[in-house]
Amino acid sequence: MNEETTAAGNTVLVVDDDASVRESLYSLLRSVGYGVRRFDSVQTLLDDGDFAEAGCLVLDVRLPGQSGLELQRTLTKAGVALPIVFITGHGDVPMSVAAMKAGAIEFLTKPFRDQDLLDAVARGVEQMRARSAETAALSELRRRFETLSPREREVMALVCSGRMNKQVAAELGLSEITVKVHRGKVMRKMQADSLPELVRLADRLAGAAPPSASKP
Amino acid sequence: MSDISDRENSQLLLSTLPAGRNQVRLAWAIALCLGAALAVTAPFARQTLEGTAPLLPAYAAAVLVNELITATLLFAMFSVQRSRGLFVLAVAYLFSGLLVVPWGLTFPGVFSETGLLDAGLQSTATIAAVRRIGFPLLLLIYALMRDPAAEIRTPEASVHWRIAMAVAAVIAMVCGLTFYVLEGGALLPRWMADAREVAAAWQFVPPVAIALCLAAGATLLLSRPLSVLDLWLLVVLLTAVIETVLLAYVSSGSRFSLGWWAGRLYGLAASSTVLLALLSESVTLYVRLARSLMAERRSREGRLSMLEILSASIAHEVNQPLGSMVTNADAALRWLDRPQPDLGETRAALQRIAEDGHRAGKVIESVRTMFKKDLGERVALDLNALLAEALQRSVRDARPQRLVTQIDFAPDLPKVTGDPLRLGQVACNLFANAAEAMAGQLERPGVLRVATRLDGSGTVLVTVEDDGSGLTDAVRSRLFEPFFTTKSQGLGMGLLFCRSVIEGHGGRLWADDNPGGGAIFRFTLPADDDAQPRV
Repeated sequence: MNEETTAAGNTVLVVDDDASVRESLYSLLRSVGYGVRRFDSVQTLLDDGDFAEAGCLVLDVRLPGQSGLELQRTLTKAGVALPIVFITGHGDVPMSVAAMKAGAIEFLTKPFRDQDLLDAVARGVEQMRARSAETAALSELRRRFETLSPREREVMALVCSGRMNKQVAAELGLSEITVKVHRGKVMRKMQADSLPELVRLADRLAGAAPPSASKP
Repeated sequence: MSDISDRENSQLLLSTLPAGRNQVRLAWAIALCLGAALAVTAPFARQTLEGTAPLLPAYAAAVLVNELITATLLFAMFSVQRSRGLFVLAVAYLFSGLLVVPWGLTFPGVFSETGLLDAGLQSTATIAAVRRIGFPLLLLIYALMRDPAAEIRTPEASVHWRIAMAVAAVIAMVCGLTFYVLEGGALLPRWMADAREVAAAWQFVPPVAIALCLAAGATLLLSRPLSVLDLWLLVVLLTAVIETVLLAYVSSGSRFSLGWWAGRLYGLAASSTVLLALLSESVTLYVRLARSLMAERRSREGRLSMLEILSASIAHEVNQPLGSMVTNADAALRWLDRPQPDLGETRAALQRIAEDGHRAGKVIESVRTMFKKDLGERVALDLNALLAEALQRSVRDARPQRLVTQIDFAPDLPKVTGDPLRLGQVACNLFANAAEAMAGQLERPGVLRVATRLDGSGTVLVTVEDDGSGLTDAVRSRLFEPFFTTKSQGLGMGLLFCRSVIEGHGGRLWADDNPGGGAIFRFTLPADDDAQPRV
């Protein structure tokens, strides 16, 4: 559960059709230690399709072909929850409102202060990192749950719903001793120190989307 | 400057607008009809039409209304143009129109046996004589004073004051004359032998009137060019002559005879025609003015929104390198501020700043070029040679691609006047566009066809055809917008520049689809050896 295990990287994706702007962003972000990947259009970004290392997306609003705002929708639909920092040549209030409503980190008008951009990118990367940590923790939890036998899962479900060992035994047609053994195995496999902790883990598992969904 | 405004004014006022061919034809037609009417009426002229006296008030009223409207029109024209001639003319119509009132009222046998207002035998005839001689006399004065350039330079209020004074004076004169005629009957010449037939004294009136009419007409004809107003005044004068001839000689002055009535009715018909012609001309002019005013307003609005688009585009286009410069500078500072300053990265960032500076400068330069009013040097050019040279240059500069050029130049193309540098740039721009449109096709060489033609209307037409990707509807509609471009390395100013140069040379530039695929750009330029006068 420590930070190092999360894959959310320090890589920032920059999409701008203007080579000069692209290069300047590339240089600025690298100067403070980010890894940067450059794209000249939405299409090249989507063709690349590798968001695994990405921590933040810096996106020009006005792009040839698909615009920045359209990409934002496309990514959301595809379940890629990448934080986006928009940059634009001229401040357009309705456009920025739309972008922010759709979950953008920041909407910057060129020429912007480097600190504003770096702050926004840092916020995005942090958000992505937290989100990835969350995702990683959940998938770890799922992995642990996968190791439970069907009987253990039944026992865990009943225990977490507040039944006493005796009641669980009666319900499953088992001896109380057997239930105790199963319960001990569940606690160990789920790495829960106490019953309240086990209940909390079960809640988190139930609250998250089923493991088949690709949502991170 | 004053030259232009003078010419524009003369296009706007009937008193100075030169008479067109159609108007001259119409005037001739009316004159011929009057002549024919005179000939037809002559044999029956002396026949007396009994019981027609009650019709006289209707006739008088029609003349009064006609001439008052004409006078009003003329005063209105005077208030704009302020020429002495117009003033005199307006006074003439007002005077003549108002005199009809006492003339009709005192006419014997109409309202009463001897006429109203205790009129004597000579009263009506005196008024008629004054009117018949006074009107052509004033017209002669108008013809002599007719000088469009001679304006009375007075402020607006003073013009209205002058008109009011004139109207008051004319009314006073007419009233005074009427009073004198009615009261001082004994002193009047013996015009009439009785209520129907004229006496010897009247014999002097028609020749004097006719002579004055002819003199006024001749003066008008001599001081060409004829304005629309002058043309119709000539018709009026001719009518007056014919009317006088009919009244005085053909019907031998006998009141209520066929000839007498015919003269009156022709006069009325002719003056109505004149009035209608003046009115319709005024309305036509008004419509034309309103239309051009609206067109002017529309184009001003168009220019404004164009300016808005342009300034927004320029702001965006300059902002782009500006933003990049700031970010590059920030990056350079951060590379320098590192514990181990990275000079390579700093250098690269500074280099990009310099490039961005040049790029911003280029945007500004292209905007300035576009708005430059002067057309540079203007020399007579051999367009074929200019195009051939530009084509050679473009083909050389074009990216290595298979390109076939076809030249179809008119051999006897007249020269055009223009700036060889700018026109060469236009040609290069169009050729480069065409070459670029065909750069994508690999399976066959692109064909760039350049042709020149002399159009019928004294313009040279240049066609630049390609068989490349062609224009989509979306592209075509925005083709000439500033900063609109389909190229990755374009400013989107090329075609706008081309259009502004061509239009600055008095030509037109437009784009069409090539039926065989691709696009055709055409532009026209006025030819030098223009036999027809340019409008």
